[in-house]
Amino acid sequence: MLPSTEGRLVALSEELAKGPVVLSFFRGEWCPFCKLMAEALAEAALRIEACGAGILALTPETGALPQKLRARHGDRFTVLADVDFGVGLLAGVVFKIPPLYRARLEASGLDFPHRQGNSAWCLPVPAVYVIRPDGVIGWRFADVDFARRPEPDEIVAALERL
Amino acid sequence: MELAQVRYFLALCHTLNFSRAAEQCSVTQPAFSRAIQRLEEEFGGALIYRERNLTQLTSLGREMRPHLQAMLDAAEAAQAVAAARRQTVAGSLRIGLGPGVGAGAIAGVVAEVLRVFPATELHFTEAASGSLADAMLVDALDCALLPEEAPLPERLNRWLLYTEVAMLVCPAGHHLARLNICTARDLVGEALLVGDACGGFGRKLVESCDAPVRVQQCRGAAAQILELVAAGLGVALLSNRLSVGANLATRKFTEPELSRRIQLAAVAGRPHGPAASSFIKLCRAQAFS
Repeated sequence: MLPSTEGRLVALSEELAKGPVVLSFFRGEWCPFCKLMAEALAEAALRIEACGAGILALTPETGALPQKLRARHGDRFTVLADVDFGVGLLAGVVFKIPPLYRARLEASGLDFPHRQGNSAWCLPVPAVYVIRPDGVIGWRFADVDFARRPEPDEIVAALERL
Repeated sequence: MELAQVRYFLALCHTLNFSRAAEQCSVTQPAFSRAIQRLEEEFGGALIYRERNLTQLTSLGREMRPHLQAMLDAAEAAQAVAAARRQTVAGSLRIGLGPGVGAGAIAGVVAEVLRVFPATELHFTEAASGSLADAMLVDALDCALLPEEAPLPERLNRWLLYTEVAMLVCPAGHHLARLNICTARDLVGEALLVGDACGGFGRKLVESCDAPVRVQQCRGAAAQILELVAAGLGVALLSNRLSVGANLATRKFTEPELSRRIQLAAVAGRPHGPAASSFIKLCRAQAFS
């Protein structure tokens, strides 16, 4: 159960009761590839909904940042704050940022302790899961290269195959 | 990193003994050691010194321990909260409110916690920041909203939630109620009720400007100050997030603008019940406008 941008507690089981769920991990509002992914998801939202599915976007960021991520794409999907990476850890997608990459992020002015509300300096791999209403994962995409994201067509095709 | 690795590492932090930690986690020692090793590879350094009589955490291990504990707590809470909801377990949510901090800003968050856990018993405690910190440490409170400037022990995690600014509170028929905006100059000749237990805005004003304001010291909480203002004893500067009765008027206060930031504090590494952990998460994920 995670808090949404509307201040509600959202449980995966309740979302699954309505139909399949496309669960997408985001790195944060600052990440340009996440912005592209969010745009692609927003564009595909109608097709995904036509399959009876809902979209849950998880971000490790807190405060006003999850709302910013959502508002930029016309509020087309639910954004949840995965505070302290709890669900990311359950899914096994969280990693500690290596020192070299951390230095680059810090040099570009990103204050993760402030954005995430903890000083762990971790990020999730931007994985995407298609979860069947019975809770079984029907399809997934995970690539440690954060620039590589799944095509919306692949997600829709996976939903149609369920 | 994997959930099991994090569990193993935290068990090791606790026992400082590989075989006992492996046993606790119901896993063979070779598998346990390999898992810790893989975690060390990911973190780019040793987490624990493996010395026969002196197994202890490295500085990296000590640095990562609270973060990994927070992640594991969050993972377990995400599952436990969903399970608790199905069983409608009765629990409590004990919130401390620092000097002059109202419950108005968090009322919506509390309402959402009650929607999900209707059997929750609510406790609010208003006190000085130091007493609230002590109460959290002895587990008499789950969390507290405190002004940012309050000195807190290291063991408390803190997250900034919102900024509040001072507003002028006066009786509805008072001549200051006719103004749209009130400044320090407008307060000349007025009795200003000042007390540390009601937010400290009045004290800040007196310290930061030399307008000859008549100060009436008053050791009471915001509720008492409001009653004294209603009784005509003077005017007060209180947080704009407090709600006041219809017999009182509130006006924006500028020149100087007085503000303070409010943070949420909770004891680091302490597991909370479903209602309290949901409350803390909701607060941290909220854009307080």
